[in-house]
Amino acid sequence: MVFTNAVRRALRKARLTLAAYIILGVLYLAFPHYSQLIATLMFYMILAQAFNIFMGMTGYIDFGYVAFVAMGAYGMALAVESLYELGWASIIVGFLLAVALSVALASMVGAIALRLRGAYFAIATIGVNEGVRYLIEGANLVGGSEGVIIVRELRATFGRETANFIMTGLADLALLLIGITAVMITALILSTRVGYALQAIREDEDAARALGINVTRYKVMAFTISAGIGGLLGAANWALKGGYVEPAHVFNIHYTVEAIVMVMLGGPGTLLGPIIGGLFYGSMNYFLGVIKPGLQLLFLAPILLAVVVALPKGLMGYVRERVKDPRLRELLT
Amino acid sequence: MPFADLVVGTLLYGALLGVIYGIATAGLSLIFGVLKIVNVGHGAFMMIGAYTTYWFFTLYGLNPVLSLPFSLAIGALLGLAFYYPVVRRVIDAPEMASLLATFAMGLLLQEAARMAWTSDYRGFSWEVARLEIGGVSIYASKLIAAGLALLLLLFHYVVFYRTKLGLAIRAVVQDREGALVVGINVDRIYALSFSIGIAITVASGSLLAIYNPVGINPYMGAILTLKAFVIAVMGGLGSIGGAFIAGVLFGLFENVSYVVLTGIEGVQPLVLTRFIAFTLLLVILLVRPKGLFGR
Repeated sequence: MVFTNAVRRALRKARLTLAAYIILGVLYLAFPHYSQLIATLMFYMILAQAFNIFMGMTGYIDFGYVAFVAMGAYGMALAVESLYELGWASIIVGFLLAVALSVALASMVGAIALRLRGAYFAIATIGVNEGVRYLIEGANLVGGSEGVIIVRELRATFGRETANFIMTGLADLALLLIGITAVMITALILSTRVGYALQAIREDEDAARALGINVTRYKVMAFTISAGIGGLLGAANWALKGGYVEPAHVFNIHYTVEAIVMVMLGGPGTLLGPIIGGLFYGSMNYFLGVIKPGLQLLFLAPILLAVVVALPKGLMGYVRERVKDPRLRELLT
Repeated sequence: MPFADLVVGTLLYGALLGVIYGIATAGLSLIFGVLKIVNVGHGAFMMIGAYTTYWFFTLYGLNPVLSLPFSLAIGALLGLAFYYPVVRRVIDAPEMASLLATFAMGLLLQEAARMAWTSDYRGFSWEVARLEIGGVSIYASKLIAAGLALLLLLFHYVVFYRTKLGLAIRAVVQDREGALVVGINVDRIYALSFSIGIAITVASGSLLAIYNPVGINPYMGAILTLKAFVIAVMGGLGSIGGAFIAGVLFGLFENVSYVVLTGIEGVQPLVLTRFIAFTLLLVILLVRPKGLFGR
């Protein structure tokens, strides 16, 4: 009963955000010409939403976040590579393995790094993705620096037509579902005591501990949930959609930077913020990529500097402080 | 090569490199010690130093040693240029703000360098004599780089303990309010400390380029940041002396690890050494979060 109430409250909170995904889904079907742009936007929205669950809510910065997304990509690629004879089951196993690997890495990193505060935590995570990547490349594990290619396996099992569908339509459908899952999890966290606990930790960890909040438990919870969604994202968007996993690509710190910028831009700790940040950054990235590729990071840095200095609560925080109507405020969580 | 020579050579090169790592981390420690800010963009500033030495050498044929004053000047100016619009505003903000701001600064430098100089790997060869030390032949340039690093450390020490500025900096570190009360302009001390810290960091990039004049590229900063963190955490964040000792230890560790890993089939020693460095960081953070020499 308590739980269904929480779900009802979460759904209420998430109206606007879920609407954004449904509109994108409709646009995807209506304008097949722009389907890949829409899928890219969804990728960024999910990346921001998943990253927000940890960074936005606790105030801890994980500079190695992309490693969890990479683990998911590896999970899917390895499952398809070794189990492709099982057909569809291999893809289901892939998603499960994706979550398992990213959660496993998150538990390992979290067990060590989450004992640390602020700067020390950030320092500990800065090497996580490099560390895992160097292990894979240096010791020649799971394909070394070559990575894993699964296009051939997909085509051999499902035939060319179906394989192409898996790598476009099905992967994009998976993205939509992962996006909705991420939104619902965020809304649930925000409308239960977990959200209050995380916010208390962000504002003052010692005070939160003194109030009897099990600080470590909530931090680990947020960290692993955030990593798990990242894993699903990697499995769908990189392994399944791209058909290959390459360490230089999936461990690129670029994606962590993008996640940080999107969360900061939209508004850390909010539900709608990552969506706004994701849509804004995703479209900017797309048009910049069309006009002059390779400039994105050069634009990201000043944006991040400006947001940190001038808009520390993001666009959402800025708007919310100026909205007086309580119903509108509630919508803008 | 006889085994004894291999051992001597490995340790010697490790110690020389370690001295440079030590000075490279001193800037990070200075900024953390005074401003309580972790410069996540640290490596990008070193990258600027490496390019400074590279360009002065290839364009004007300037002796790399003489590029050091330029690096210091560029670093000091960069420090001031970032302090007033950005760093100053995040000093009292939540830690997240300063971490993100310094990260963005590094990113900005890295991408600007890529736009200006492409992402090609660059290198130069500065022909100087080789010396024989205990049966090991060693490039004089590497000795010079390590010597300059010691000189910079001396300079650092003199500024800190023998000048009025150093006294004021130490006062601010001890008690910011107290320093304000006795009439110290804390904002200016912050600006100067940040500027000096960045100057030393950029100069250490030059020294690294003199020591090992290859592999200069816009992205070289990332791994340098990681190494500097390992060293800073080993020595205790904020402790400059600790950073130096830890730097030498890390240089030794890196060279020994490389030589040992070369003996193992099928692994890439350089890449795996980086993995071990990272694991080392986690282990130290876990066992002694205040650093090996911290209390």
